[in-house]
Amino acid sequence: MLQTRKLKDGSKQIILNGKQFEGVTKVLSELAAKTKASAILFADMSGQLISQRGNTDKMNTTVLSALAASDFAATAEMAKLVGEDAKFKLLFHEGEKRNVYLSNVGDNFFLVVVFDTSVTLGLIRIYTKKAIQNLLEIFEDQSNMTEDSAKDLIDSEFGSLLGDALDESFK
Amino acid sequence: MFINWALQEINLKIVYYGPGMSGKTTNLEYIHSKMDPSLAGELVSLKTKEDRTIFFDFLQLEVGRIKGKKPKFNLYTVPGQVYYASSRKVILNGVDGIVFVADSQKHRMDGNIETLLDLENNLREDGHSLDKFPWVIQYNKRDLPDIDSIENLQKRLNYFNVPYFEAVAIKGTGVFDTLKAIINKVVANVQNQL
Repeated sequence: MLQTRKLKDGSKQIILNGKQFEGVTKVLSELAAKTKASAILFADMSGQLISQRGNTDKMNTTVLSALAASDFAATAEMAKLVGEDAKFKLLFHEGEKRNVYLSNVGDNFFLVVVFDTSVTLGLIRIYTKKAIQNLLEIFEDQSNMTEDSAKDLIDSEFGSLLGDALDESFK
Repeated sequence: MFINWALQEINLKIVYYGPGMSGKTTNLEYIHSKMDPSLAGELVSLKTKEDRTIFFDFLQLEVGRIKGKKPKFNLYTVPGQVYYASSRKVILNGVDGIVFVADSQKHRMDGNIETLLDLENNLREDGHSLDKFPWVIQYNKRDLPDIDSIENLQKRLNYFNVPYFEAVAIKGTGVFDTLKAIINKVVANVQNQL
């Protein structure tokens, strides 16, 4: 089960545990192998890259995730303006050499599939749909639940060490 | 906030909010120019031909590993102009902390207030509230003539008594103090709330 926690101020905290991360990486590898996509990214809706597969060496995938999340958020607003009650489920950008296929994975995550125009869209659609199902199963699986808490990760010592590290970086 | 337990990564999203031309992008540009390139990623700006931010600027910072954990800070700005209201809302998605960059010039007071109300509305729609949310104020452009006194700015804008910083972002004055303060507030917020 995916651990999401709503804090008192309304902000949301999402924790992906080791087992889930392993599962996600496996699904992405399978998708990359089956579709021959150039790159596959898995990120959260606030734009943070979680995992990637494929030939991403020359791609700034951090920025690509941030842009893709905004793309999603912007089209969700567009959906409202044109009277579509639900969010748009997928976005497709067609280029001369490469296409980009974006699809949400539940409410919190999305997949970005970058592929050459020689690969058919139908193939991408079928395998991406399957991958999304597998990812959702990972997040819903109760046996994946752990007791990880952000408090264990971010203690007060962490806070003061972070302060020192920031001073060091800003010199 | 997104935590990847396997990689011990902690991702935080910080948004620079404020009226048009108050210096939000300038803050990010200064940070980008001064940070070690191995720690700061590329600064991405989605601008109009007139150099105004149309959607957002984005910069990712790292500080290396701390107690084995890897914190990453994703900094965003929003477009300031009134008519980009929906873009501003979109960028706030998943936000952990906010820097409100106010323009200290007297004639910009109305713009500051209007944008602060816009922020409050957008946060409320997402279930946040300004009195509990981690945020700080930066009073920018302190080097310009005809600016408001800090006392007056405080009275008109800082009604939740959050930390504030005087800045001349173009010269870098106050930029890192502001960033450090918001990061500390976000981290402290995590400790207090769990």
